[in-house]
Amino acid sequence: MPLDTSTYSLALLRIDGRRWNDLRRLHAQIHTQDAADGSSYLEMGHTKVMCVVTGPAEPQAGQQKRGTGGGGQAGGQKDGASIVVNVVVAGFSSVDRKRRGRNDRRIQEMEITIQKALAANLHVHLFPHSTITVSLHVLSQDGSLLAALINATTLALIDAGIPMTDYITACTAGSTSSYAAGDDSADPLLDLNTQEEQELPYLTVATLGDSDKVAVLVCESRVQVSRLEGMLVVGVDGCRQMRRLLDGIVRQKGSKMIKEGAVQRSDMMAVSLED
Amino acid sequence: MAQQTLLSPAELAYLHSSLSLSPPIRPDGRTSKQFRPLTAETGILPGTNGSARVCLSDGTEAIVGVKAEIEKTVDPLGGEHYQEYVKSASGVGGGDAEADRSAARGEWLEMTVEIPGLRDDDAGTVFLAELLREALLADGEFAKKLWINRRFHWRLYLDILLISPPLSYPLPLLSLTTHLALLATRLPRLKSEGDEDPMFDDDWEAAPFLYPREGATTGPRPSITLLVVAVGDSILFDPSKEELAVADSALAVSLCEVRTQREQGGMEVDSGRELRLVSMRTIDPPSRLTPPGVPSTANLAASGTSDTTQQKQQQRAEEHPQEGVWKAPLGGTRFAVLDSIMQAVLEKGGVADEVLDGLEGVDLA
Repeated sequence: MPLDTSTYSLALLRIDGRRWNDLRRLHAQIHTQDAADGSSYLEMGHTKVMCVVTGPAEPQAGQQKRGTGGGGQAGGQKDGASIVVNVVVAGFSSVDRKRRGRNDRRIQEMEITIQKALAANLHVHLFPHSTITVSLHVLSQDGSLLAALINATTLALIDAGIPMTDYITACTAGSTSSYAAGDDSADPLLDLNTQEEQELPYLTVATLGDSDKVAVLVCESRVQVSRLEGMLVVGVDGCRQMRRLLDGIVRQKGSKMIKEGAVQRSDMMAVSLED
Repeated sequence: MAQQTLLSPAELAYLHSSLSLSPPIRPDGRTSKQFRPLTAETGILPGTNGSARVCLSDGTEAIVGVKAEIEKTVDPLGGEHYQEYVKSASGVGGGDAEADRSAARGEWLEMTVEIPGLRDDDAGTVFLAELLREALLADGEFAKKLWINRRFHWRLYLDILLISPPLSYPLPLLSLTTHLALLATRLPRLKSEGDEDPMFDDDWEAAPFLYPREGATTGPRPSITLLVVAVGDSILFDPSKEELAVADSALAVSLCEVRTQREQGGMEVDSGRELRLVSMRTIDPPSRLTPPGVPSTANLAASGTSDTTQQKQQQRAEEHPQEGVWKAPLGGTRFAVLDSIMQAVLEKGGVADEVLDGLEGVDLA
């Protein structure tokens, strides 16, 4: 079903009633599963993903091959942990049931993108001869899938306590008119859903912490180069908003753990426990 | 499938002997028929026809989503006979619906299991999916629920996701999650009649459940599959990973509850459930792959000498198992063990009753 983009200019409201720079509702939980070293659940609108992190652990015989396939840590067993990312897209996640095998190109590309971003961000040199396995499950998809996966991975890695430089937060940004319209004055949009993704050019951007350092940038659609800068600026700004939200969730969980007595309170903690 | 436990032969022997005591002493202090606690919820994914999530107390977690699609029924034999059958039936208008329903086929249910870190065409995964599918279809009533009319039927896709790494053999977890998801499954209400193209009520609230809830609910409920292991003479339900590692044999027992209406107007108020054993399958326990222990009499490193008498002793030790020395179990399951498993499962107030009572406590969204 084609998306009617012509109404946007009338009220400056998108199809789901958001303004151009509104994120969808974000809901996230950390430590959703007791058996795993780290786990998280993240909802961005109707996109729902789960992440389970295992490790750093001794590499298993079967995993070693796949981990090196993604480049980055190839042969890096001696001086750092290798990172293995598995994405499983559930058959029931989209509106029409579609089964995607493990060898699906899109899924493999997402795996490699996440793996490379993590390899640069995590302090893997602290864990030689080991593997960090990140398995991601997509339960429901409605746009911004890669962004949701990256955000969920960040939360799960924080839960697992694996040292990293900073949060990697991701977000999508698009443009209000299609490539064919050739409209150079098109406004940028933040956080697209499936309908918008199918119709409009968009990119996924992930940044490191509060800085403007771009960790991941994926753009698979045709877009005029003049529009790219605007989209990128909006995307990076969205990542900053996302970081604030995720940080809030992590802090909330942390203060809850201290209140429950799961963690000893120490003088070194800079967490304010007022709320 | 289940990860190999890192237990030494001495540990295995110790575990085996304490489990074969009467009553058995289990590492986590449970009785032989006691299950581990679990948390469950249903209706977690609004985008599916039915969904459920179950977390076991050992931390393993599974999610099941059910999706239904309409499909045109094609003739299984590809002949004119079927066309005639459709025509004649539509001419008469109606006919015997029960007889038509028997044309339902098991292949309308499709099942997949996804386990992280394993290939999706892994033999173990495929076996697991087929085991669960077979147990569901074995009652012969399930496929009939998918029948719409002579020309159309529902195709049901059941996708099982194991979220956690496979810490123990995930069969009971997946089976319980599937059971709950099917109980929470609803299909749109049919508005059209007879053999015309199906039309459905778009009010989701009016959609009936695949397995009706209240009132006169008769017929079988979705089956559950329990894992039972035999160690020596004792039978253990819901084995943990360590217990599975010393099991003499492991069995997957599938059973379903059949609700019958009692219309005799008798005095019986308590309508007890009728349990039906659907299938029983042996599963290759990981204990078959454990290395054997060496008795100290045959241990050359301990005695330091190796003469012919000792070699003979060693041979004898290999032939006859010694008390306290681990040896991987061989052979099948004794009939007495099978019999007592069936007894324990099917008796009134037995294990199956307990599990089904527990599952009934789950709030179905």
